Amino acid sequence: MAGCAMNTQLIADNIDYLLIGNWANGQPGGLALTLFLAVAAGSIASLLGLAGGIALTMGQPGLRRTLEAVIAVLRAIPVMMLIFWCYFLLPILLGIDVPGIATVIAALALISAAYLSQSVYAGIAAIGHGQWAAGQALGLGRWQTLRWVILPQALRVMLPSFINQWITLIKDTSLAYVVGVAELTFVATQVNNREQIYPLEIFGMIGLAYFIVCSTLAWLGSRLARRWQPV
Amino acid sequence: MPSPPAWLGHSWLAPQYLGWLGQGLLLTAWLALLVCVLGTLLGIVLTALADSQHKAPRYVAQLFLTAHRNTPLMVQLLLWYFGMPSLLPESALMWLNAPHALALPFGLQLPWPSFEFLAALLALSCYGASFIAGELAAGLNAVPRGQREAAKALGLTALQAFRWVILPQALVIVRRPLLGQYTGIIKNTSLTMAIGVAELSYRSRQVESQTLLTFQAFAVATVLYLALILLWQLAGRSREPAWRGAR
Repeated sequence: MAGCAMNTQLIADNIDYLLIGNWANGQPGGLALTLFLAVAAGSIASLLGLAGGIALTMGQPGLRRTLEAVIAVLRAIPVMMLIFWCYFLLPILLGIDVPGIATVIAALALISAAYLSQSVYAGIAAIGHGQWAAGQALGLGRWQTLRWVILPQALRVMLPSFINQWITLIKDTSLAYVVGVAELTFVATQVNNREQIYPLEIFGMIGLAYFIVCSTLAWLGSRLARRWQPV
Repeated sequence: MPSPPAWLGHSWLAPQYLGWLGQGLLLTAWLALLVCVLGTLLGIVLTALADSQHKAPRYVAQLFLTAHRNTPLMVQLLLWYFGMPSLLPESALMWLNAPHALALPFGLQLPWPSFEFLAALLALSCYGASFIAGELAAGLNAVPRGQREAAKALGLTALQAFRWVILPQALVIVRRPLLGQYTGIIKNTSLTMAIGVAELSYRSRQVESQTLLTFQAFAVATVLYLALILLWQLAGRSREPAWRGAR
């Protein structure tokens, strides 16, 4: 029973810090920062991925080959290395002080965009050739056909891979811990270092927080996919 | 001669630092290999449990899979690394942390791995297994139902049918996705630097902070990762025709 009381106390003492970090002093952190990283990187990655997938479909052979090579390299290196590149080299290259949060968003957005580009490309390819011909028969140009005929159908096909990529992205925000960005995993290790004796409780609790966020997204995704079923 | 741009620094990595990175690469490859083997074995067990006719094993497998897939690997690593000591009895911990050597024939000795290596191995294997099990289950579903009934008709038990009839066919189907999972495992080993495993990413940070040659340190590490993964994919692909023929 004493242990149970201690655990309640442990959670009560640290819940604010785990949820929002040091927001009161102008440094948001914890779960709030994790969600911010995920939403920011996820939005950029979705736009970049859409653009990349369209470029892979519509681009000149030269552009396509370059893009394919970049995507292949991005997919073959660990996210950790990409975070290092952005975190340590961007400031030196640009000659300005880039905040750690921005470098992590850049790295996560890049890697997710690489995966999404391929999903978008595959989604567009999955739409039958007849649809392109139909667009042309209606007097639409290639780009108009893409915009009004192909994409509306292809986006439905792609939805599951977007959801999966967003979930991966949420999990990958925990890598920001390594470069000292105060997201949920980082503040949890701080709390763990301070408390010393409750590692199972602390990491179990934040594991549960990630679990709730990820499975909620998966659930929303499957609901949306059902309602939005390809016709 | 124009001087190199400032971000490139003014020298190349000394042999000593290249040696560190080489050691990191070896540890990355060794850890990844062990995780692939252990993760696949655990994945097979999980798939068998999830495929069971009884409810309890199916629930256990489902719980394991969702818990591991929907939480970050980083958190699982930290949980194993910091949490395992508080679960184990004092004596077991003392033994784990003390240096040991496994005596092999011919006077060879295999040093007992460090505690962080063990934690990394367990965490990565469980995480990998939860995804490998997903691929295996998809492969199992792709094996026609009649095969199981045929095995039953031959008098094989459920376990025998799984081992000798279903599993070999499923493995052929899941070859490619499985290779993808193994590539993922190589990349995932980079997270173990967070608990102090001196693999390639850890070594690249170490070289970077020692030499301040940021570009060189990360460039060499990145090229080594690319080489390892390319080599692995080539090795996997080169054996494909033989496998295909076996079908």
